[in-house]
Amino acid sequence: MVEERLMRIIVIGAGKVGYALAEHLIAEEHDVIVIDKDDDVISRCSGSLDALCLKGNGANAKILLEAGVEKANIVIASTENDETNMLACLISKRLGAQYTIARIRDPEFNESQMLLQNELGIDVAINPERATALEISRLLRYPFAGSIESFAKGQVEMVEFKAAPQDPFVGIPIKIISSEVPSMPRVLYTVIERNNQVIIPDGDFIIQAGDRVFVSADMLKITDYFRFLGRNRQKIRSVMVLGGGRISYYLSRLIIPMGIHVTLFEINPEKARTLSELLPKVDVILGDGTDEDLIEEQGLSQMDAFISLSNRDEENLISGMHASRCGVPKVIVKNSRMSHLDILSDLGLDSVISPQFITCSTILRYVRARENSNGTKIERLYRLVDGKAEAMEFIAMKGDAYIGIPLKDLVIRQGMLVSVIVRQGKVIVPFGNDHIEAGDHVVIIACESGVSDLNEVIYR
Amino acid sequence: MNRKLIIRILGAILCIEAAAMIPSLVISFIHRDGDTAALALSLAACAFLGCPMLCFVKTDKNVHLRLKEGFIITALGWILLSLFGALPFLFSGVLPRFEDAFFEAVSGFTTTGASVVTEFEGFPRGVMFWRASTHWVGGMGVLVLTLALLPKLTGRSAHLVKAESPGPSLSKLVPKTGATAKILYTIYFALTLAEFVTLMLLGLNPYDAAIHAMATAGTGGFSNYGASVAAFSSVPVEMAVAFFMFLFGINFALYYRFFIGEHFKAFFKDEEFRWYLAIAVSAILAVSLINLSFYQGDFWTSLRYSVFTICSTMSTTGFVVLDYSVWPAASLMIVVLIMFVGSCAGSTAGGIKVIRINMIAKLSRRNIRATGQPKKMEVIRIDGKAVEEGILSQVAQFALMYVALWLLGAFIMSFDGRYDLLTHLTASLTCISNVGPGLGAVGPAYNFAGYGILAKVTGAFLMLFGRLELLPMFILFTRSAWHKY
Repeated sequence: MVEERLMRIIVIGAGKVGYALAEHLIAEEHDVIVIDKDDDVISRCSGSLDALCLKGNGANAKILLEAGVEKANIVIASTENDETNMLACLISKRLGAQYTIARIRDPEFNESQMLLQNELGIDVAINPERATALEISRLLRYPFAGSIESFAKGQVEMVEFKAAPQDPFVGIPIKIISSEVPSMPRVLYTVIERNNQVIIPDGDFIIQAGDRVFVSADMLKITDYFRFLGRNRQKIRSVMVLGGGRISYYLSRLIIPMGIHVTLFEINPEKARTLSELLPKVDVILGDGTDEDLIEEQGLSQMDAFISLSNRDEENLISGMHASRCGVPKVIVKNSRMSHLDILSDLGLDSVISPQFITCSTILRYVRARENSNGTKIERLYRLVDGKAEAMEFIAMKGDAYIGIPLKDLVIRQGMLVSVIVRQGKVIVPFGNDHIEAGDHVVIIACESGVSDLNEVIYR
Repeated sequence: MNRKLIIRILGAILCIEAAAMIPSLVISFIHRDGDTAALALSLAACAFLGCPMLCFVKTDKNVHLRLKEGFIITALGWILLSLFGALPFLFSGVLPRFEDAFFEAVSGFTTTGASVVTEFEGFPRGVMFWRASTHWVGGMGVLVLTLALLPKLTGRSAHLVKAESPGPSLSKLVPKTGATAKILYTIYFALTLAEFVTLMLLGLNPYDAAIHAMATAGTGGFSNYGASVAAFSSVPVEMAVAFFMFLFGINFALYYRFFIGEHFKAFFKDEEFRWYLAIAVSAILAVSLINLSFYQGDFWTSLRYSVFTICSTMSTTGFVVLDYSVWPAASLMIVVLIMFVGSCAGSTAGGIKVIRINMIAKLSRRNIRATGQPKKMEVIRIDGKAVEEGILSQVAQFALMYVALWLLGAFIMSFDGRYDLLTHLTASLTCISNVGPGLGAVGPAYNFAGYGILAKVTGAFLMLFGRLELLPMFILFTRSAWHKY
């Protein structure tokens, strides 16, 4: 059964995204074949990845055949070049690959996406910049959140935030929170991250100020919960964006309809001009966004959010730190490296986003969704907290031992948590008296991986 | 340095060695030659040291094996393997001196087949079986076997296979290293079984057939008879052994491609195989023609001996059917040159390897052309694909180091005080190329028993250098290998 789950996946282009993808897929035990045209990249990959590494152009049929494309379950084209990616997908599909994913960043290509997908044999086209802009817009919607993840077809959200000393749930065991503070909406304390340790809390766990808390519930409850905590007062009305690249463009288009005012800095006159043509409602400022006086003059300290999206990571980090010192409540910075995230959070930058990371996790989500159809009991798998924890979605089967018994009477495997039950489209955040019925979607949160059956998690 | 990970993998190697001793123990139990205790004791030594190292040392799943550590594990693993592999010889009293037992074990694992055993009559059969088993374990490599059995032992396992597998670059058959190792061992086992059955059909008893099949599979050359394969005095047996020696000198990746549907195209499409075949055929023809007058014009006898000797030398097995040191000098020269060449990368054989000779030939041609046309860009191709310049320079350096080490070995051996220059030069060569017999006093009719301790230890290390293709062993002698970081 486990063998069936495993897929043959070809990754074309082993840049930052391709490499990270291959690494994750190998960790999930798939058979991975990496194709890259650079000798150095290939020799690095063959040393550190347990994959078949081939040198060559991914849009070359001969190389694809050598990689066994006809038996491939998924082909992921993640080279720098849109045309190569499209061509690679087209050829792979013609040669018999089941499913193709392409990274396509040019907005012009994206607009004709429907046509592309049908004619070119691309099943999913991922635009890293657009995906990043979407992620930022979600962060702006919940400005207090460090990250947001959604499960069960988007019906359940898991939101990360930092526990403050005045929060009513701080300092008391989780199991008595609802009796101590009865008016607070009931949400599930899913995962706690303390000093880079990921903890799945049990009833006796006490949350301290400064912990990163991940709570989950349906969208309405989450909103109520944060209203109760008084966090939603920080609603965002104005943002300052540094850098006029593609992400800034997509982001502006996404957040202007939300009633947010955007001030955008761009140093290149031509680019600034084009942006102001394309985005009439945005204040495009021609100038250097790292110039303290200039951004102060444009009202930095009055802004609700500051988003640094220039091409240089260092500039983004310094500007972000500066904005956060000037008292801007929400600061988001772009960092193209996927490492050192914990160091950045020590510096006070808790919303660091990396387009590469987002692209990688978006693609992984599609890959894992394909996994379902290959016959495991796990419906879906999500990586949480930089991969330190996992959420697994199962379907409860008729005749399993746990059916119909209240959760408090069942044994739940150490380090795991029943996070959410979805019954006929209705979300239940389970407490001790709730039970599981056959056909329910059950989301399990775990620190360890390797469980493939719900019966291994919950038993009598 | 990930000490814990290194200890665990070394532990796994010892456990595998213990498991490899089980068949020999069973045989000693059946034949009752008085070696059961010695084998049981050796097995217990491996198991009692290996199991705790493997099972009780905890390693962090996220700690990856580094390239340097892969090389160190390979070198240390082989030395450890040989030290423990020497125990049965030592405990049973057949080779009471430690250097003799160590030499014999190294010669077994590196599939050299150079021996210090002088008395084959009354040699306990369990220990004799162990002697042949070492060839089988060493042939495809013990780390490859470890990865086939325990693929999850370490991440980045490619470093280990790379350090142990012969050839300039590692060719994986399937994406996962562990799965590749499993396929290699399956092919290896199947071919060994095929030879075992063939030899049985040709009239050998199961014990002799098993020993010769294992010794051929690893391209080792330990026989349980002093006269080697000549003891059977059967032409069909000789030809069958010669054919299998040739087969075990071929890159195992080609067998895989053969079985997944490319059939014979897999072989002839491969440039290295074509060169291997061409070198073997031309050497066989040349030797049989040169020897024609030596055999009084009897071409078939000349061809028969030539086929066996060339196949045996080129696959670096070292079985003999006659004392060929009496052949004309030109034939002997061909044999010596063939010793340098060896067989294909990715096989169980030793030597410089045909693919490297191929690359060096092309490199030399390019250098000669470049003197006339220095501005001309020329890419060297193997199988129609451009070879990276980095690999080319590594190959050239490898050949140079190989020759240097051969001469250094001969130099040290010459201090032994016995024998002439030809003996020392061919003894050193036969060790580094993992062949077995040399010429002169270490010729086909004799062995290394007459050498002193200095030459034996030198020979043992030359064999290890040759089997692991120099670099893993050299790294042990660098200071940076032992740094903590």
